[in-house]
Amino acid sequence: MTVVSLEAVTREHGQVQALRDVSLEVARGELVAVMGPSGSGKSTLLNLAGGLDRPTSGRVTIEGKDLATVKDLAALRRGSVGYVFQDLNLIPSLTAVENVMLPRELGGVRTRQARQEALDVLSAVGVDHVADRFPPELSGGQRQRVAIARALVGERRLVLADEPTGALDTATGDEILQLLRDRCDAGAAALLVTHEPRYAAWADRVVFLRDGQLTDSASAGLESAR
Amino acid sequence: MSIRHGLLALLSNGPRYGYQLRVEFEASTGATWPLNIGQVYTTLSRMERDGLVEPGGADDQGRAVYTITEAGRGELERWFSTPVDQSDRPRDELAIKLAMAIAAGDADLAAVVQTQRAATMRALQDLTRAKRTAAKEGLAQRLVLDSMIFKAEAEQRWLDHCEAVLKEKT
Repeated sequence: MTVVSLEAVTREHGQVQALRDVSLEVARGELVAVMGPSGSGKSTLLNLAGGLDRPTSGRVTIEGKDLATVKDLAALRRGSVGYVFQDLNLIPSLTAVENVMLPRELGGVRTRQARQEALDVLSAVGVDHVADRFPPELSGGQRQRVAIARALVGERRLVLADEPTGALDTATGDEILQLLRDRCDAGAAALLVTHEPRYAAWADRVVFLRDGQLTDSASAGLESAR
Repeated sequence: MSIRHGLLALLSNGPRYGYQLRVEFEASTGATWPLNIGQVYTTLSRMERDGLVEPGGADDQGRAVYTITEAGRGELERWFSTPVDQSDRPRDELAIKLAMAIAAGDADLAAVVQTQRAATMRALQDLTRAKRTAAKEGLAQRLVLDSMIFKAEAEQRWLDHCEAVLKEKT
């Protein structure tokens, strides 16, 4: 089942085509990685997939809903889409559990239930023991785990991750990818933007962006080195 | 490295018989270096000739068991204390292919880079899958796979670099 789909999407900023005729689908249970140099359109793609930006032409659908016809995009985003960014992830004056509760409370869920949901998802990603600490008191890996919890809370089935391993060391970065992978194996769909080949390799599918166009990873066979 | 150093390392844990050495060798190297049992016995008999191991009778099921000697321990220690020389490693086929593509003049360099990038990424995905499975098995295996992952990653970075340089020069 397709969770997010981009069909022939083009995005222009004035004269510049940030994305050209891009088509991409991510299904339930699938982790798809997008690689490309800076300026290749990776972030534009992620913003369009999450309804933070609208295409100049083409169609974006999330769980079958055409975003062009959705009146309250913010509500759809809160209900269906979770974001994980490299930084600026958590609100420093709220505890870990309060950060995770926030999108649920904004969505109208009562505090007590939002808190329980947040604790459940913090436990699923292995950081429930730091639920009452503030972000500056957490390690880099713990902060990203809390951010992933916030992206998943409330049964959201689409996670969009923009360089989620940021400045983490490779062992901790691998743990974050292991976690995303586990959530996908449990039924979520994730679109991961990264410039690090080692993290892209956790994906089921890796696509390359070049000057706003996609080139798929699936192609020719291997030549023997002999 | 040679098979003999690998076998000496395993024997330094205690006496082993041939088949057992083969299984442990493959498990430690994450199955990246498959051995046949003939290689194991040939290596053991050469090491016996050189005084690095000695036959230690048979175990309770009648299998011939080998034990490391003092000279064998010395050789193992020497091996661990000597760094691997860069020039001992085989030449890089990919770097040569790209150099030849430039020398040939009319080859599509960007296509050569992109084809390789896709293939290396598939290899990296396979290694990552193997690592997820190996995570439950053993530290040695995991670290060997990590080494291969870092090498594949270095190749990807180098390809990105080639692409950027090619774009600049053409």
